[in-house]
Amino acid sequence: MWLTSKIKQILMVMKPGVVTLDYPNERPPVPENLRGQPVFDHQKCIGCGGCSDHCPARCILVRDVCQELRVMLYDGGRCTYCGRCADICPEKAITMSNSFEIACDQKEDITTRMELFMMTCQRCGRCYEMEKTNAIDRINLKGFRYDNLEQRALIRKTSETFDPALLKESDNYQRPSDK
Amino acid sequence: MSKRKELEAKLIARLRDDVVCVEKTDPRTIFIDVKRAGIREASKIITTAGARYLCSVGYDNIERDGTLGMIHTFALDDSDQFVCCRTSAPVGDPVIESITPDLPSAGWSEREVTDLLGLRFAGHPKPKKLVLADDWPDGIYPLRKDVPHNFVPKGAEDVAYELDEAPPGTKIVPVGPFHPSLHEPEHFAVYVDGETIKGCDYRGFMTHRGIEKLCTTQISYNEVPFIAERICGICGSVHATAFSQAVESAAGLIIPRRAEFIRTMMLEFERIHSNLLWLGVAGHLIGFDTVFMQAWRVREQIMWLCERLTGNRKTYGMILVGGVRRDITPEIADDIRRVMKNIEDDLTIIHRAIEKDTSIHKRTKGVGTITKQQALDWSLVGPVARARGVDIDARRDHPYAAYDEMKFEVPVLDSCDVWATLVIRVVETFEAIKIVRQCLDKMPGGEFFVEMKDKIPAQRHAITVVEAPRGESVHYVITGEDNRPERWRVRAPTFPNLQAVPLMLLDEQFGDFPIIMGSIDPCFSCTDRVAVVDLQTGQSSSITKAELDALSRRAQSPSHSLQTMLRG
Repeated sequence: MWLTSKIKQILMVMKPGVVTLDYPNERPPVPENLRGQPVFDHQKCIGCGGCSDHCPARCILVRDVCQELRVMLYDGGRCTYCGRCADICPEKAITMSNSFEIACDQKEDITTRMELFMMTCQRCGRCYEMEKTNAIDRINLKGFRYDNLEQRALIRKTSETFDPALLKESDNYQRPSDK
Repeated sequence: MSKRKELEAKLIARLRDDVVCVEKTDPRTIFIDVKRAGIREASKIITTAGARYLCSVGYDNIERDGTLGMIHTFALDDSDQFVCCRTSAPVGDPVIESITPDLPSAGWSEREVTDLLGLRFAGHPKPKKLVLADDWPDGIYPLRKDVPHNFVPKGAEDVAYELDEAPPGTKIVPVGPFHPSLHEPEHFAVYVDGETIKGCDYRGFMTHRGIEKLCTTQISYNEVPFIAERICGICGSVHATAFSQAVESAAGLIIPRRAEFIRTMMLEFERIHSNLLWLGVAGHLIGFDTVFMQAWRVREQIMWLCERLTGNRKTYGMILVGGVRRDITPEIADDIRRVMKNIEDDLTIIHRAIEKDTSIHKRTKGVGTITKQQALDWSLVGPVARARGVDIDARRDHPYAAYDEMKFEVPVLDSCDVWATLVIRVVETFEAIKIVRQCLDKMPGGEFFVEMKDKIPAQRHAITVVEAPRGESVHYVITGEDNRPERWRVRAPTFPNLQAVPLMLLDEQFGDFPIIMGSIDPCFSCTDRVAVVDLQTGQSSSITKAELDALSRRAQSPSHSLQTMLRG
């Protein structure tokens, strides 16, 4: 029994031969609907912040610098490429491209920053119509939203090696009992 | 008489005033509220009525009525029903009688609730820390509502977990936290007498990420499936489906039939890939790397298929509350049929080549044995239970998605060892291929997503089970305000299975430790540093890498190698 099993195993290995791809010298085609790096179209974006409300990884941040200027910041370092932002966007301003070779040593290389000039409504001071059927209102559920970029500091920092300075900083985190 | 009335009659006869109410609204789930004095008695009555213990859920109800809630959940497998036994204790006196003496598998659930919510259990046989870090400050319970999700306490030095007392005459071999035979950080202290394992203590939860807290404070219902998917790298769709089903059940949302079929298909793709992955890992753990290479070669086809179908190899992101995100087009359906055919052919070749291999038989037959009764007592799930003759499968017993229309076999073996687990997982892969084909044949047309139009009412409870490749996952959801769940409890299949590992290891050889651990599929591989504590003299010594190399080279007579090392 042992010998027949071994013969079968040799055949099992021989038949497919070498299957390892010679990547990166040989690049197989990327599937059409791969969820790769999201691309933001500033021409189409109306700055509704729906993507920011619905990002599970919370990597799209919105900040109003002043009434006319809204900054949208996409932080690729935290992105999980789920494509939820592209689903949510009412203007189809976000598309999931099929580029996936995006490892880089500068965080800024995968960060997208858009500065949007917002028109204000004369009546209400906001930048879009306020009808109940408005797509923007429907998606504007009470999800997560950063109005303040400084809040990112609350995300716990880590270092490659033990860093006494970072440990010292963590002393300032407040416990609920200290509030 | 229906099960509900039968249970109600028994409970009231025995407990009288301690039973607050038995809800009649949901046909599938029986919610029973009891006062805390009667909780142990109630759980005894429920288990004697034929229910199988699933898990326990603790929740913070301080703002509403100043209590901490506790729910013990059970499944009635023959009548497709769940029993949720709820009780509560005031936050000033948070003590409930433990049910662990009756149901050993409740041990971890109760320790978890003690850690995270501060609810204590009188009569618990092992009231040690389970989830929280050793240096976590006392009196702060992270799952309570007043603790923010990003709270970081000060670390402390020189705090260590106290291991269980080792049986007399044994020595401790620590495995982990970082150990090549473990794919994730966790710590086992294995008590050995020579090469024979006499017991073990477990300290894990080192990758506890606080996902439940995050999802109940930060994001909304339809973002949770994406995070649920990241609970596990292997059975992501399982968790996303289970969460979505629980929310849909709480909200009364009916999803389109086509979406249910697509969900079923995704779950079965996952089963095929996971079983092939496990077959490879099991081969690797017993040193049979040909199986590892070939199983993973076959598995690669399903990864590529899912990439074409969903846009990603893993973490498919297909499932949302209300349906699925992408449709199955006729072109992709042909593609699926073709890939299924290839996988079936290739797996048959592998199966034939290894089924009679004596070297695999020697390493797996009669290894990791526990009896059927022990498997029932510890409420094991999945292939690990089915290899011990326990005939349970959530797909057949509690049909969800489109499983009520599917025809498939549930393989059950009674040789109670690792070999039976291996056979079952291979057979299940063939069954999964059959289910995928049935899905394609019977798939109805129409929509595949339905939007949540109304707000989901708060304070609704729902429980669902989904059969993951390694066993059954239980999700319990309490809906809340602000468009997000108030409490969401995930019980992965490894949670009950890992609790029974000390039992499986008992009286086995230390060399079989990896494959026994691996057989429940938590992930495991081999050695970088072994510290040896001599209990008799209290001296502790470490084996250096060079010594270990020498040791493994001398391993011609394995049963003596460790012993000589210890004496020397």
